[in-house]
Amino acid sequence: MFEADRLRQRVSRAYGRLLSHIPMLARRWGRRFAAITGEVVPFVPLRKPLHTCRLAFVTTGGVHLRSQPRFDMGDSRGDPSFRVIPAATPADQLTITHDYYDHRNAERDLNILFPLALGRELVSQGVLGSLGTSYSFMGHIEPPHVETLLRHTAPAVARHLRQEQVDAVLLTPA
Amino acid sequence: MGLVARAVETAGIATVCIVGLRDIAERVRPPRSVHLKWPFGHPLGEPDNQVQQLHVIHYALKALYTVKEPGTILDPGWRWRREIYTEPSDWAMP
Repeated sequence: MFEADRLRQRVSRAYGRLLSHIPMLARRWGRRFAAITGEVVPFVPLRKPLHTCRLAFVTTGGVHLRSQPRFDMGDSRGDPSFRVIPAATPADQLTITHDYYDHRNAERDLNILFPLALGRELVSQGVLGSLGTSYSFMGHIEPPHVETLLRHTAPAVARHLRQEQVDAVLLTPA
Repeated sequence: MGLVARAVETAGIATVCIVGLRDIAERVRPPRSVHLKWPFGHPLGEPDNQVQQLHVIHYALKALYTVKEPGTILDPGWRWRREIYTEPSDWAMP
């Protein structure tokens, strides 16, 4: 890695930690973020009782299996790819690649961001029917990668969830 | 994240998002959101506080059934590190 890249990575990590700890700064970042505006809101009611539902988690917190490729931190416009996380994955096989927030607490207890372990517990208690395969993105995606997310990777995840007959999804941000 | 929620809901699957920044949720308009003004990296609460995490998950799952208006953003108003949570006892939904 070149010296300039290393410096840029250090700066973005420092900025990510600041955003995590100074709420006012985070909200200002949010106001300036060029979010795509949704006109029509897609909406399907959930009719099945929770104890019969298959639930999946989707996070944009940059979670992935240690054996999977890391998200690309070298591109300042983000990485629109996703990682497939099997429902039975133990927390110690998961890690986080995401320079734009402080994930030290999430690495200590992943349930605060990606609650696979709690989800399995709820299934064993009969609260949920089952867990489907979960998915992870690295948030902070800017053009032109937003197009890739909208046209390819987000619909691909939706298709996988559908094929696995998932009934409901809980999404968590970074 | 809201964009992914919208794609998943478009495929016919109900979604609920935890959001930290209301501004962005108001523009992206995910189908259902729970807004918590908590630090980045802590959407479901503090590490090792399982009661709090379950409390948030319970509230979010409940929203899957109670929200009737597309694009609703719920504001439970829980303050960071200044609330006492109880473990949810009734998970029967709807």
